[in-house]
Amino acid sequence: MDERAAHTATTTSIIVRLTLAATFLAFCFRLYSLQIVSGASYQEQAAVNRLREIDTHAPRGVIYDRNGEILARNRPSFVIAVIPADLPTDDLNTDIDEQRIALERLLAVLEANTDPEMAIRIAEVMFLHLGREDFRNTVESAGFSLSFRLVDLEVLKLDDEGREVLEEVPTLIPDLSEPLPIGGLLALLERAVALGTQGSSYKPISVLDLVDRERAFQVAEETYQLRGVQVLQKPVREYPYRELAGHVLGFLGPIPKLAADNYKARGYEDPNEPVGLNGLEYTYQDSLRGLPGKRLVEVDILGRESRTINIVREPEPGLNLNLSLDIRLQEVMHNALARQLEETGAPHGVALAMDPRNGAMLGLVSLPSYDNNIFSEGLGEEYQALEVEDDTRRPLYNYAIGGLYPPGSTFKLVSATAALAENVITPYTTLVDRGPIYLPNFFFPDDPTQAQEFVSWNHKLNILHGTMTIVEGLGLSNDIFFYYLGGGYPDFMVGLGSERMAKWMRLFGYGEVTGVDLPGEVRAFVPDEQWKRLTKAESWTTGDSYNTAIGQGDVLGTPMQVLVSTAVVANGGHVVKPQFVQEQVDTQNQVRWQYEPVIGERVPVDPSLLAFVQKGMWHAVNGNYGTSPNSRVDGITVAGKTGTAEFCAYDPEIQDCTDRDHEGNLPFHAWYTAYAPYDDPEIVVTVFVYSGGEGSAVAIPVAQETLHAWFHDLRP
Amino acid sequence: MTYSATSTNVALTDYWQRQLFFTMLGAIALVTAALFDYRHLELLAQPSYFLLMLSLVAVYFVGEVKNGAQRWLNLGIDVQPTEAGKFLLIVFFAWYLSRFQDRIHRLLYLLGAVILLLLPLVLVYIQPDLGMTVTLAFICGTLILINGVRWMHIFLGVAAAAAAWPLLRGTLQDYMLRRIEVFLDPGSNVDAAFSVQQALISIGNGGWIGLGWAEGTQNRLHFLRVRHTDFIFSVIAEELGFVGTVMVLLLLFFVIWRLVRIADLAQDQFGRLITFGVASLIFFQTFVNVGMNLAILPVTGMTLPFLSYGGSSLVSMMVAVGLAQSVVMRHRKMDFA
Repeated sequence: MDERAAHTATTTSIIVRLTLAATFLAFCFRLYSLQIVSGASYQEQAAVNRLREIDTHAPRGVIYDRNGEILARNRPSFVIAVIPADLPTDDLNTDIDEQRIALERLLAVLEANTDPEMAIRIAEVMFLHLGREDFRNTVESAGFSLSFRLVDLEVLKLDDEGREVLEEVPTLIPDLSEPLPIGGLLALLERAVALGTQGSSYKPISVLDLVDRERAFQVAEETYQLRGVQVLQKPVREYPYRELAGHVLGFLGPIPKLAADNYKARGYEDPNEPVGLNGLEYTYQDSLRGLPGKRLVEVDILGRESRTINIVREPEPGLNLNLSLDIRLQEVMHNALARQLEETGAPHGVALAMDPRNGAMLGLVSLPSYDNNIFSEGLGEEYQALEVEDDTRRPLYNYAIGGLYPPGSTFKLVSATAALAENVITPYTTLVDRGPIYLPNFFFPDDPTQAQEFVSWNHKLNILHGTMTIVEGLGLSNDIFFYYLGGGYPDFMVGLGSERMAKWMRLFGYGEVTGVDLPGEVRAFVPDEQWKRLTKAESWTTGDSYNTAIGQGDVLGTPMQVLVSTAVVANGGHVVKPQFVQEQVDTQNQVRWQYEPVIGERVPVDPSLLAFVQKGMWHAVNGNYGTSPNSRVDGITVAGKTGTAEFCAYDPEIQDCTDRDHEGNLPFHAWYTAYAPYDDPEIVVTVFVYSGGEGSAVAIPVAQETLHAWFHDLRP
Repeated sequence: MTYSATSTNVALTDYWQRQLFFTMLGAIALVTAALFDYRHLELLAQPSYFLLMLSLVAVYFVGEVKNGAQRWLNLGIDVQPTEAGKFLLIVFFAWYLSRFQDRIHRLLYLLGAVILLLLPLVLVYIQPDLGMTVTLAFICGTLILINGVRWMHIFLGVAAAAAAWPLLRGTLQDYMLRRIEVFLDPGSNVDAAFSVQQALISIGNGGWIGLGWAEGTQNRLHFLRVRHTDFIFSVIAEELGFVGTVMVLLLLFFVIWRLVRIADLAQDQFGRLITFGVASLIFFQTFVNVGMNLAILPVTGMTLPFLSYGGSSLVSMMVAVGLAQSVVMRHRKMDFA
C-alpha cells in the first residue's frame, strides 16, 4: 500500500464509521420516538386492532296463548356457510382455480346438482346476500338466463316539497322458483365470496339455511374435508298453529331497507337481523328480542376469535308474551268463518272476540290467512310483495283492522244511544213504520215526484213493522225508525243531525284507531258537515243524516271498531282498548310487564237509558220477530245486532259499482255483532263477511258457534 | 464469528426448527468459508463475472416467470442468479479495483468499472428487480468509492446519472412507482399502507421493554404481514421493546463495525475490498429493511440480515461473514512472510 492509499484508507474508514454511527443513532432516535414518545397512541391502536365486541345471540321470546299453548317458538336450525378467508385461495401460477373447485365440491356435497329443491334454496339464499341487481348480473354474466316477475315495490321517495312519501314502483324480480344450473349457482357463490373477502373481516357467508339437525350432521361429516366450510347454528321462528293465528302473530324478516335507519338508531347493528315485520312480532319486537350479549374478544386479522377477554354483558333473553287469546276459540272462529266464506264464495271475512270488561282479545281471524312459517325462510320484502301479488285476495292484509267498511245496521247501536242520550226520543217514544218515507226535494219541496225515497229492508219483503219503541226498532232493525232518529222529519220531529251524530260516533271510537296492539290499523274520518263540504263540496242534507243513522252513506269503520262499539253497549258505556298481550314474562317466570286495561270514561249516557239499547240487542236475539234468533246459545242469554251493509265497489271502467244483482241492487256486506251473557257480559263477538249478503244468514252462524264454544267448552 | 452466530437466536417464527437447521448449516458454511483462502478467489474473479452475465442472459431468454418478474432459472430447482450474483460481483469488483488500483484515477479505468457494473445492472433491472439493482449498485458503488475516486469523477458520475434520470424514469415498472407513491402518500394504496401502518403499530406497541417473547399481539394475531421475513424487525420491536431492539441493532451494527475493522486489517486491497463489499451488503440490507420497518424508507422486499427467516439468505450472509473471517485470519500471515 502506498502512502496515498493508506491515507485514503484511514479517511475512508473514518467516514465509514461515522456513517455507521450516524445511521445507528438515527434508527435509535426513530425507535425512541415511535416506542416511547408515541408508544401510548400505538398501543391504543393495537388494542383497537385486536379487541372486538361481539354480539352474542339472545333467544327470542316465546308467545303463549291464555292457556299456555305455545303460539311462537324458536326451532333449532342449521346453516351451511363458507368462510371466504379459509377457502383455498387461487394459486395464480396454476391454471386450476382452487377456490372454484372447493365451492364446486361443496355444491356437490349439498346435492345441488341432483336435488332441484336444494338448488332453488341455495339460489334464494344467494339472492338474499347479493340483492336483486347483483344477483341478476352475476347469473347473466355467467351465461345463464333468468325469468322475471313484475311486482310493485314500495319505495321511499321525496315529493316536490321534500317530504318522504311511499311510492309503488313496478319492479322486475328474478323468478326463483326454477332451479339454476350448477354453473349459475357457482357464479353466485363466487360472487358472494368475493364480496365477503372485500372487507377484511372474517364473516361466514351462508350457502344453505334452514337445515335440520340430522341433515346438518350429515353435511358436517361430509364437509369435514372441505376447507372453509362450517355448519353453524341459527334458530328459526316456528308457529305451530300455522295460519290459525297468522294475522295476530305476524312474522319475522330481515330489517326492511326503508326502515334501516330507524332500526339502527334503536341499536340493531346487523342489517340482516330478523325482526318482527307484522303482528305481535312487530309490536313487541324490542321485548321479544331481548338484548344481545356482548363479549370482548381478541381477534386476529381475519376477525377470527382467538380468545374471550371479557364478557361485557350477558345476553338477555327476550321476554315471553302471554296473550289473552285462546287458540282453541281462535280455531273455532277460523273454521266457522272459513266454512261460511266457502259457502258464500265471499272473498274475505273477519271474526273477532274480546272481553268487553277489559278489552282482552280472545280471538282475531281475518281470512284469507297465511302460514307465517313461510316467512321464516325470509326471502325479504320483494318476495313478500310477490306473495300479495299472487293472491288477489291479499292474505297478508289484516282486514280486521286494515279494512274500512260501512258498518250498516250494527251502527244503530251508536244512533240509538245518541238519540236516547240527547233526548231525541225517550225509551218509550213510539215511531211508526208505515212504509217508505219521502224527503221533499230541497229546491222543489212541492213536487212529490222529485222527493227522495227511503225504505227499510223489510219493505222489500212486503212487511211493515208498525209501531215501535227503541227496543223493537233495534230488535227488528227497522230503518224507518232510525231515519227519524237521525234526520227527524219536517213538521214532525227533530232528529240528531250531523253534529250530534258525529259527536256520538267519536264517543264510540269511530274516527280514531282502537289502539289494538297490532300494526297496520286504519281509521276513517267521521262524516259531518264540515267533512262533507271539504271532501265533496256539498252541504249536509237530511238524507245524509238518514243514511248515517243506519250506518250507510259515508260512515266507515273497521270490524275492530264495530267490536269496540259493541263493547261500549255491553259494558255499560266504556270504550276499551283491545289488547292481546296481557303480560311480558322473563325466563324465570317473573312478570316484567303487566297490561293495565285502558278503559275510557263512561260515555255521557245514563246507564238506565243505555239499558234500552241493551234490551234492543236482547230483543234482536230473543224477542218476537227479532233479526237474529239463530245466535241463541243453550243456557246463555245472548244479545246481538245484525248488519247488512250495502256497498259500492266503484269500477271506473263500467262507471258504476260492481256486483249489482239483476235488479240493479248493490251487494251487501254481512255483519253480526253480539255479546253474552246478557246480564253480565264477558265476551263480545263481531263477524264480518265481505259481500256476504244477509248478515243474519252468513255472519250469525260464525258468532253463534264462537259463543257456543266459549260457553260450553272453553270458558275458564 | 460468535457475534454473528448469536445474533440469529431471535428467530421467532413457526419455522424455528428449520431456521435452526439453517443456522447450523450457516455456521458450517461460515467456518468453511473462513478456512478457504480468499486470495484464491482472485483467480475466480473473471470467470465469476462471466458466469453471472451468462446466467442473467439465460434468465432473460429462458427464465421462469413468477409474480410478473422473470428472475428464476429452472435447474431442477428454481434458482435466482442474482442472490449469488451479489457475491460474484463483490469478488469481481474487488479483483478489478485492486488489480487496477494504481490506474483507477484515470477516467478510462473508472469508466470501465462503471460499464462492467452497468451491464449486469441493466439485465437485473429489466427482470424487473429494482431492489436487487439498487443493492448491487450500492455495493459496487461503495467499493468504487472506497477504492478511491477523484472528486471530479464523482461530479461527472452524478451529472451523468442526473442526465439519465428522465430516461430511466420512463422505464420504472408500475409496481416500483406504486411503492414510492405509497411511501409518499400512504392513502393511495390501502393494502401496502396497511402493512406499514401495522408495522408502526407493532413497534409502538412494544414500549420500553416490549410485550415479551411470543406475546406481541400484532405478531400473534397476524396483523403484521410477512412478519417472519420483511417485518421481523417490527416483531422484535413489539416483543423486546425499545431496550431489546436497540440491543439487536447494536449487535447488527457491531457486526458491520467489526467488518470495517477487518477491512482495515486486511493485508491487501483485494481482501479489503471483499470485506467492505460484505460490510456494505449487510449494511445496505439492514439499512433498507429497518428503514422500511420504521417507515422512513419505502417498502421493498428486502430481508434483515441474520434475523429474517429464510435459509439461503441466512447461509449466504454467513458465507459472506466467513469470507471476511478468511481475510482477517490471514492478515498476519504476511507478517511472517
